[in-house]
Amino acid sequence: MMKTIIKYLFAFLLPIFAVRAEIVVITNIDNPVTVMTKTEIQSIFMGRKRAFANGLKAVAFDFSKEREPFYSLLTHRSIQQIDAYWARIIFSGQGMPPVKLPSAQLILSAVQKNQGAIAYINRRSIGDSRVRVLLSLE
Amino acid sequence: MNFMSLAEKLVLFKCYLLLFVCFMATANADEQSKRWSIKGFGSFGVTGSDTDRIGFLRNRTQTKAVDNNWGVTTDSRLGVQLDVDISDSLHTTVQWIARDHAGDFFEQNLEWAFLSWRPRDDINIRIGRLGLDTFLLSDYREVGYAYVWMRPPHEFYANIPLSHFDGIDFAQKFVIDDSFLTLKLQAGYSYSQMHTGLGLFSIKAPIAGLNIVYETGDWRLRAGYSYMHFLSDVPSQELVDAVNNPALAPVYPGVSDLSAALTLEGTDLHFMSVGGAYDDGIWLGQAEASYMETDNAYVVDAASAYFSFGRRISEFTVYGLYGLSFSFNDRVNIPAPSVLAPPLLGLQKGLNQVLNFNSIDQQSFSLGVRWDFYTNIAFKAQWTHFWFGDRGAALWTQDEPGNIPSQVNLWSLGVDFVF
Repeated sequence: MMKTIIKYLFAFLLPIFAVRAEIVVITNIDNPVTVMTKTEIQSIFMGRKRAFANGLKAVAFDFSKEREPFYSLLTHRSIQQIDAYWARIIFSGQGMPPVKLPSAQLILSAVQKNQGAIAYINRRSIGDSRVRVLLSLE
Repeated sequence: MNFMSLAEKLVLFKCYLLLFVCFMATANADEQSKRWSIKGFGSFGVTGSDTDRIGFLRNRTQTKAVDNNWGVTTDSRLGVQLDVDISDSLHTTVQWIARDHAGDFFEQNLEWAFLSWRPRDDINIRIGRLGLDTFLLSDYREVGYAYVWMRPPHEFYANIPLSHFDGIDFAQKFVIDDSFLTLKLQAGYSYSQMHTGLGLFSIKAPIAGLNIVYETGDWRLRAGYSYMHFLSDVPSQELVDAVNNPALAPVYPGVSDLSAALTLEGTDLHFMSVGGAYDDGIWLGQAEASYMETDNAYVVDAASAYFSFGRRISEFTVYGLYGLSFSFNDRVNIPAPSVLAPPLLGLQKGLNQVLNFNSIDQQSFSLGVRWDFYTNIAFKAQWTHFWFGDRGAALWTQDEPGNIPSQVNLWSLGVDFVF
């Protein structure tokens, strides 16, 4: 009996803990793209693709404070490895990394302003802002 | 006083023209979409060996070698890059690198100045000064922060004197599921300067190339072919005049036949290479192989390859690297003159040196560590042990071919950064 109660207690508590670390990939509410795979998101954030599947130009933003957990969840690589990768892409003239924004407010307003915007944020920080969640990374 | 020749003035003029076009394009950009950035990269390294018989060069465009007198110029440099988005599809990039390079400091170190047009997501056309894309590291071999080693594998990269050309390239990217296949065609004209045993050599050559890159998951594979046609010659004119001197024929029969071997102008060079790189975040591996074929005796046919493995342990990466390179030329034995007069013997010795100067017969094994100790700065330490065959140190500076050690140790320490 006790065991069952503890099991249920954990079942309810676990999602609460999980939410704390949950990073979601977001886009503009008017973007017709509603769902994306991890690999597609990776291609855009790593500069291999510059557009969504429907052809809409993708404009990616980095959230300075969440870069480390985001890239670790998305690519299993450290931020040093991501920076070394971008050094190769930038200085071989193949592209520019996402613009870094320092606050959740700036991320949300950038996503709301541009139909092709794509960014990531901690789910808690979205509040009542009108953005579309494309994928949740945990 | 050193007055510039007309050719040098033209080269500089072309350089300013490239920059002017890039800046004009930028100035006319629509303010709305204009996004620009200045970024840079650099390295500071000290390097030294345990010999004073031959001098180490990072590549053959360098002028200052290091030996058991340690030096900083070999592995130090500073690059800046300006990027401007003119519109959604137009972009300019200018990159200049302060580094030890033979010839004109401003002109030779202007690595890129191009206008890039991307009419579609999968097509990129670039015009201006471009990087010569013929191997895995071709466009970023000066950006130490982007790779684990102290410098690109010596056996493979030191023999390539060209890093840029003026012309056009066309790239098309094909998306195949989650993989990318990129085809790139390049054509243009290269003016690159390097040092040779005879003095400064200004390479003037039309070039063309085809490059295929396949990227999938943790893998990057490539194959490429480049062609160049020499329109200029090594500074061998004095020797050519000497062997062609009609007064020489009776006392040194057959010596005039050597003038062809001393001439580069009008000959071709073909360069083929394949390579692959793997990086899963923990393990990394990379290998390349190349073959260079020429139809002249001065730049010799050569094969090169390397392979490298590395493992990341938190912010450290330890690696091993093995490389080899050898040329396919036979030793040239200049026959003795029929009259053993000192000037003729001097000419024989000079010809022997020049024609046996370009042999490569070298292998090396390196062990090193990269430590990513701070954001955008990495510390590196590398030890390399070289083995040489007879006469095979053409990638190094040598006072006399033949007087080379059979083994050399080279150490280097440095930091690489981006900003």
